[in-house]
Amino acid sequence: MAHRRKSIGIQRIAAYATIAVALVVTLFPVYWIAANSFKYDIDIFSIPPQWVPANPTSKHYHAAFVERPFLIYALNSLIIAVSTTLVSVVFGSLAGYALARFQYPGRWRYQISFWILSTRMMPPIVTIIPLYIAFNHLGMLNTKPAVIIAYTAFNLPFATWMMKSYFQDLPVELEEAAMVDGDTRWGAFLHVALPLARPGLAATAIFCLIISWNEFLLALILTLTERSQTLPIGIAGRVTQYNTYWGEISAAGFTACIPIMLFAFVVQKHLVRGISFGAVKG
Amino acid sequence: MTVSIGAKFGNSFERWFERHLRVLMLAPAMLVLLTLTIFPSIYMIVAAATRISPNPDLPWQFAGADNFLRLLTDEQFHVGLWNTLLFTVFAVGAEFLLGLGLALLLDRYIRRLNFLKTILMLPMMLPPVAVAITWKLIYEPQFGVLNEIMFRLGLPLQAWAGDVRLAMFSVIVADVWQWTPFMFLLMLAGLASLPDEPYEAAAIDGASAWRQFWDLTLPFLKPVIAIALLLRIMDALRLFDLVFILTGGGPADRTKTLSLYIYQVAYRFADPSYAAAISLFVLFTTVAFSTWFIKRMRLAD
Repeated sequence: MAHRRKSIGIQRIAAYATIAVALVVTLFPVYWIAANSFKYDIDIFSIPPQWVPANPTSKHYHAAFVERPFLIYALNSLIIAVSTTLVSVVFGSLAGYALARFQYPGRWRYQISFWILSTRMMPPIVTIIPLYIAFNHLGMLNTKPAVIIAYTAFNLPFATWMMKSYFQDLPVELEEAAMVDGDTRWGAFLHVALPLARPGLAATAIFCLIISWNEFLLALILTLTERSQTLPIGIAGRVTQYNTYWGEISAAGFTACIPIMLFAFVVQKHLVRGISFGAVKG
Repeated sequence: MTVSIGAKFGNSFERWFERHLRVLMLAPAMLVLLTLTIFPSIYMIVAAATRISPNPDLPWQFAGADNFLRLLTDEQFHVGLWNTLLFTVFAVGAEFLLGLGLALLLDRYIRRLNFLKTILMLPMMLPPVAVAITWKLIYEPQFGVLNEIMFRLGLPLQAWAGDVRLAMFSVIVADVWQWTPFMFLLMLAGLASLPDEPYEAAAIDGASAWRQFWDLTLPFLKPVIAIALLLRIMDALRLFDLVFILTGGGPADRTKTLSLYIYQVAYRFADPSYAAAISLFVLFTTVAFSTWFIKRMRLAD
């Protein structure tokens, strides 16, 4: 018996060691981009690497956000992410509620749900060329609305499925009770279901924000001017064929990570459901 | 008078609204998605069947299957296809095994997971651009951290993302870093929902831990595993951001994925017709694979 307990002890230590390694491997790259963003160029290039910035400087943040237009990029990212999120969450909750609660003739409910999910299977590079040409004809290239429309299309399937999953979890009796009390179906949705699904709304909104804030390919193709580009595109633009502006991209890259890291703690509970389209309950 | 008409009108509108609610609530999302998927699909089919002239004043010429036949002989396309498959198999495979292993370990030995989970999930939420930049820094041959570690361990220094043999490996490692948490979290959610009784019965029967894993845990996890693999495979097949910044598809096209190739054909070689043909190929194979996979997993249920 004593022997058995000892072997479990060793297993436990091995488990903790593995977790410690996983934590270091997970956190080091994030720490490294942060550390480099605060180093002078000469310290970034030092051999061996300088593990902790010896002379911390905000020079690269100044270079990126004051001398170069990264503040505009960040603002564009923010405006685009917030607008996309608003539209996606509103349309997504409406459709999600309909798919969770209403009956449709035949197998339409299943067909529509599956079709909505399947639009997400389209690789963005596949749809972006026609969208580029359409926006070009409409004179909408290099405008925020074009990016917002494209992002909404890519966020909607996800928002719909996630909200559908949250509405399905609500007990239908509460809405029925409201309707017995004389409320309309729309009223029951607005006054009963929606407030109860608030955690789901918040989680869906944050996911849409993160996806839009991080998105790269669509913005790369739809925007070419400084005034319309987003943070990821601005960062990528500083990796040129001839030079990589390490300090600047580290500063901008780390800045792009900060809101995400804050959000991560907020959506932690809903994470699994979010990333799996509501298919796996977190 | 006007009030009653207004009320009557309001009433009938309300009734109409209520009667058609199930269509009206679905309509906005459906309209957006229909417009933004049907138009591109039609455009691509038309573009792929024509030869679009660089001169916008000249009419498009019908090209039949020419653009699709080019797929058969285009070596760059074959390289892109091969790289995409290679990346998908190894990256998703590694993410799955690591994620499952970590989840089994944590589920068994650690009870209060929330804070750990929050930290371990960070990578997949970060902007891919920032992730690519970070790994570019780590892989940097002269002052990068990885070569410093190699040097300390007495191992030969490498060019990593810049080395013909190691470039794809380097891209895969960066992707595994970012997406293992995804697998880990889904597996953990699956493990948390396992019923206790079969395990108690198995323990009474004296089944080994390995047998329990193989006969109970794995079958129970199957739906979660299927969803996790499907979502990751779909994402891996469209890999773009990471290679665009980390390697640009090089060296010697070793990390050029199909998405990157389509981008180059459309915007660098200015050949939208051929880009449309490749896109249609990618679209059909992705949708065919996903549908097959979903059907198969349903059948297995």
